[in-house]
Amino acid sequence: MEWLNRLMALDRRWIFLLVAIGTALPIIFPIGFKVSVTPPAKALFDRIEQMGPDDVVLLSFDYGPSTAPENDPMADAVLRHCFSKRVKVVLLSLFPIGGVTMADQSLARVLRDFPDIRRGIDYAHLGYKSGSQATMKQMGEDIHRVFPTDRYGMALSEVPLLQRVRTYDDMKLVVSFATGIIGEWWANLINAQFHIPVAVGCTAVSAPKYYAYLQSGQMVGLLGGLKGASEYERLVIDRYPIVEAAYTRAGLYTAIKGMDAQTIIHTLILLFIIMANVAFFAGRGRAAQAKR
Amino acid sequence: MRFLRLQLPLLLTALAGLIPISAFFISENATRVVWMKDRLEKYMIIIASFAILLGVVNVVQSNIRKIERRQKGWPYGAFLLAGLLGMAFCGIMGAARIGPFQGIGYTPDGGRTPFQYGAEFMFSPLQATMFSLLAFFMASAAFRAFRARNVEATILLVAAGLVMLGRIPFGEMILGGHPFLARLTDWMMDWPNAAAQRGIMIGAALGAASLSLRVIVGIERSFLGVEKSE
Amino acid sequence: MNLLGIWIASFLTLCIFSFLYKDNPFFRFAESLFAGVSLGYYIGQEADQTIRPNLIEPLRTNFAGNWDLLIPALIGVNLYTRYIPKANWWARWSLAIYVGYYVGVNMVQKLHGEVLPQMQSTVVPLSLSAGPMGLLNNLILIAGVLSVLIYFFFSLEHKGAVGLTSRVGIWFLMLGFGAAFGYTVMGRVSLLIGRLNYLITQWAMGTVDALGRLL
Repeated sequence: MEWLNRLMALDRRWIFLLVAIGTALPIIFPIGFKVSVTPPAKALFDRIEQMGPDDVVLLSFDYGPSTAPENDPMADAVLRHCFSKRVKVVLLSLFPIGGVTMADQSLARVLRDFPDIRRGIDYAHLGYKSGSQATMKQMGEDIHRVFPTDRYGMALSEVPLLQRVRTYDDMKLVVSFATGIIGEWWANLINAQFHIPVAVGCTAVSAPKYYAYLQSGQMVGLLGGLKGASEYERLVIDRYPIVEAAYTRAGLYTAIKGMDAQTIIHTLILLFIIMANVAFFAGRGRAAQAKR
Repeated sequence: MRFLRLQLPLLLTALAGLIPISAFFISENATRVVWMKDRLEKYMIIIASFAILLGVVNVVQSNIRKIERRQKGWPYGAFLLAGLLGMAFCGIMGAARIGPFQGIGYTPDGGRTPFQYGAEFMFSPLQATMFSLLAFFMASAAFRAFRARNVEATILLVAAGLVMLGRIPFGEMILGGHPFLARLTDWMMDWPNAAAQRGIMIGAALGAASLSLRVIVGIERSFLGVEKSE
Repeated sequence: MNLLGIWIASFLTLCIFSFLYKDNPFFRFAESLFAGVSLGYYIGQEADQTIRPNLIEPLRTNFAGNWDLLIPALIGVNLYTRYIPKANWWARWSLAIYVGYYVGVNMVQKLHGEVLPQMQSTVVPLSLSAGPMGLLNNLILIAGVLSVLIYFFFSLEHKGAVGLTSRVGIWFLMLGFGAAFGYTVMGRVSLLIGRLNYLITQWAMGTVDALGRLL
């Protein structure tokens, strides 16, 4: 067991190198692991699937570059789903640390594959607004009061889609792509007080607590981390094969591709934990024997 | 003077706190309360904008002091200020729509404004990379620190292992394609985990609500920076 | 310009990653730039997305109808008097309104949006009407929520029946934390996947493509 003790004393930079290689290799040589779908992701997909061209979905980009690898794919997938079904989309951001940039970039990525989607008619982009809960509550009274202009400087009264969207009552669903507490606010403030269905696409770190909201009916769907994003991508690709071309484009980061590396690293870390605990128990056994 | 320094702020806190609470309980027909609530919400959007930038002044002051006194690491203070002033300049000019600075996002022809260029090629990668370092430290910590020392630690490790295996395709592969681990993970998240999270949530929410009440009635005053002598 | 931007982004990424070997001037440079650029981003975003459309434009286009917006502007600017040594207590008025409002919203939000719905959905039937699995799940839910709440009740000494129940609460908490740790691993690794994907596909492959087109 001497080798195990030497392994435990290994310089951590070797561990860093192993992690880097374990992450990089599946990106360079994709494996293509199968993605299985869980009920919370399916619930959100089915809800949007039941909507039509007259329905409006509010997408709130409440995350920044720090969690973009998790939230970007889920935002892109939901946006692609909405555009495939011609469901109308209103985008906004309440997250001050880069939320509006994430919304801009997501829209730019997805619109490449939907050249016939028209700004102001099929989607509207409100941009960012500070104020957090004050903004969210005011939107329940009148969105036009909170956002005098859209992201592009046009008065909201001149945006065709927003002429008929003034409060949460004019929308069918809110989907928040959240990194922090704003996702919870959509569930415990806006759903509670304005009764609009809410779904959240959250980072994996926050996913466990959202299950309590899901279980109590305050949320209608949940995409948890990269796994949740990959599930939604799988659902959209299976239902709308036309978007598959977008997902197989070289260089495009998708959650399904990311799950390959995720699988390798999870396995690696599990091995680390098992090895470390074997060494721990072996050491305890030897110490007990020495005592006797 | 004591009224202006202490009692007036406490009064303002109570008023500002009671307006949204009253508006929640009072009928929409109580137009005066609803009017006050709407007005306050509209003002808060602007006040919050100023509040978010409060820390910037502190950072600028301390870094200028650092550079003036040539303290250890002062060149890094210069880099910080250069980054801050550069992005802020592009942002403010973009907001004012002056010259080539037309906004802070993409231009109508799909190009990038100077602010968007900084956001996409400096702000985003720096933010993303800083947080991605955590993956390495977490892997190292898993190797060095996570031991099943007692019953509680064992439960924690087993639950973690189940989630880590159940949420990747490998969990199905090792069971010959059977989704048992995935289903067990789903069940664990839906029931025992939800129960624990719910307990934490209720406890924390009650604590937060009572702290809010303490602030509104003026028992909790630390947020005002009140000295002991006041 | 795109390729130049990608090279800048990749250089900064590698500067940060260099910390994994050891602390060095490149990392410190990138770290300082990160702090500065983030703050500059805040300023630009607030100026363009809130201050201009919600304050300046309404005052500029219709001062008579929007003069009351000077009130929040004054309150907001007053926050900065905390940096003036002799007048720093003026900022308390603005802080009082700001904190008071959000604390009022928070109180209702917590009670109405968290405590009540979560407690309501914990009141579940303990009968076989939901099937044996449903009964087991409901039992676990009730046992879990109650035992965790009892664990957090520190006004009672944790011994006897209370001690046993709080022990069960600790086990539920450990299970929740274990799930959280498993998900945290997923979350952190995802961030690394994103960055390495950028370096490999956008930087390395992007540069090779551009050179190929050039040659």
